[in-house]
Amino acid sequence: MNNAIGLAGLIPVLVFLLAALGLALWVRQKSRAASAGGFVKEYFIGDRALGGFVLAMTTIATYGSVSSFVGGPGQAWNVGFGWVYMATVQVVTLFLLYGIMGKKMALVSRKLGSVTVIDVIRERYQSNALAVAAAFILVVFFAATMVAQFVGGAKLFEAVTGYSYVVGLFLFGAAVIIFTAVGGFRGVAVTDALCGIAMLVGIAVLAGGIFSAGGGYENVMNTIQANRPELLEPFAGGAMPLSLYFTQWLLVGVLTFCLPQSVVRCMGYKDTKSLHKAMIWGTVIIGAMMIGVTALGTLSAGVLTDDLAAYGGSVDNIIPIAIAQTLPPWLAGIAVIGPIAASISTVSSLLIASSSAIIKDLWLHRAEEKGVEVQDKSVSRFSQVATLGIGVIVFVLAVTPPDVIWKINMFAFGGLETAFCWVFVGALFWKRANKTGAIASMVGGTLTYCFTMAVGFKLFDLHQIVIGITVAFVLMVVGSYLGKPSDKKALAVFFPEK
Amino acid sequence: MSSRDGLSYRQKMLQANKEAKATLVALVLCIVVWAIGGFGLAGLDIEVFGTPVWIIGGTIGTWVFSIAAAVFLAKRVFADFDLDEEEEARHE
Repeated sequence: MNNAIGLAGLIPVLVFLLAALGLALWVRQKSRAASAGGFVKEYFIGDRALGGFVLAMTTIATYGSVSSFVGGPGQAWNVGFGWVYMATVQVVTLFLLYGIMGKKMALVSRKLGSVTVIDVIRERYQSNALAVAAAFILVVFFAATMVAQFVGGAKLFEAVTGYSYVVGLFLFGAAVIIFTAVGGFRGVAVTDALCGIAMLVGIAVLAGGIFSAGGGYENVMNTIQANRPELLEPFAGGAMPLSLYFTQWLLVGVLTFCLPQSVVRCMGYKDTKSLHKAMIWGTVIIGAMMIGVTALGTLSAGVLTDDLAAYGGSVDNIIPIAIAQTLPPWLAGIAVIGPIAASISTVSSLLIASSSAIIKDLWLHRAEEKGVEVQDKSVSRFSQVATLGIGVIVFVLAVTPPDVIWKINMFAFGGLETAFCWVFVGALFWKRANKTGAIASMVGGTLTYCFTMAVGFKLFDLHQIVIGITVAFVLMVVGSYLGKPSDKKALAVFFPEK
Repeated sequence: MSSRDGLSYRQKMLQANKEAKATLVALVLCIVVWAIGGFGLAGLDIEVFGTPVWIIGGTIGTWVFSIAAAVFLAKRVFADFDLDEEEEARHE
């Protein structure tokens, strides 16, 4: 690829990263002055102060990753509008999350004084083993996702600007790790909002590029019709089987409501009005973003008309090439911020959540049990060091990258959904659900999912999420009926009787 | 202790149950609209600006419907109430 745009690509990215860093520092400064709830509550849940717009944007930006911006649209170039149709299932994710988890998580976490999802799970099921398992699963899958995000962002940066992979990785890796460590949850949420806006701008700019290079929307469509008519069929000449639609409904549609990185946001908003507002605007924005960016992938087939081999043999190259080829350098520099913003906004949220799992759910909880008093000052120091440390580990892993971003992301999505779905649903909606069921569901489901993934075992040619989620469900039910019912006192917060 | 809007903690949790059920109904409707708007229209030979109508129905159509569902839920089904008041008292 020799159409790299060099400095014109570097400068907008630098300006954006500095803006994000400045914003996070400013927010942290401001909230430190106003904070009343102590360090842990401020750092890990932002004093439960998110308003509607920021709540919607941070949920979307966390969820929308570099895969949505590079891998997905690349596949859409290859397969056609069926891929866009499939990506559309994501429009339900925001109202599902807020509608099912939103109010209950807010009420319960306030009642318990919880700042992490694992806190809530521990209290509901009265089990440290479950909490430790949850923390472990969460950190491992989050780490895998973060590596994938770094790799995706840095590859794109390299392809578009021509600067090396490591330079890109270092630039935005350093920025995101620092602003997350310093800014905490609130800093992450606010920079997520900024990232969300950058993602939308990136989509709009690239749309302009593709349409002007292709001679307008209708011409682009006509070119596709003439060259590759199968891109206009829902089954894409067999490339998009019904089974794929079905499993994607589960993976990126229905089951996303129990992703812990989304659920924690339901503990961080200010009031019910904010939640209702976020539900409406979130649905508007996620549709524009996911349908928009995926459609751009297919539409770029009206401009990039060669075989895949001409584009380096990987669909991950399609969007970088579309950016570099259809836009003048300075606009390409703005478009490239979109996917980089998608990458860092996902990393920042997973990073702060991983750090909260280690500091709050493991370390502080243990200290509390032993009756050791920990000073707010050392909590503050260790929290930031933990965030920094996890960030650096992920960064180092990303220097020698694994292949195929899209698959890693989906793998982790499926794993987290299998682990947490029934544990959350049982916690909030099924009184009979108990420790035995929850541990069996989380551990058994996740192991089954990972094992069937590893050996490539499928039923009816469906993605392994179907096996994972079914096994997790059965284990939850069987375990809950075999084990002792939960303690009445612990249940009172979740199922109040008066 | 009940909040200024008169709902007790229990009533708020029960309201949340209602909201979750309504959300599931909205999900099912969205899936139906998605299937009909996309697969259902795939047989038609109608194009708008060179775009087969199933693409519009399946993507934009589903999106618009989901926005309508979110608006309906937020305005008609979901209730406003105080989330905060009891936290500090219990946390001490």
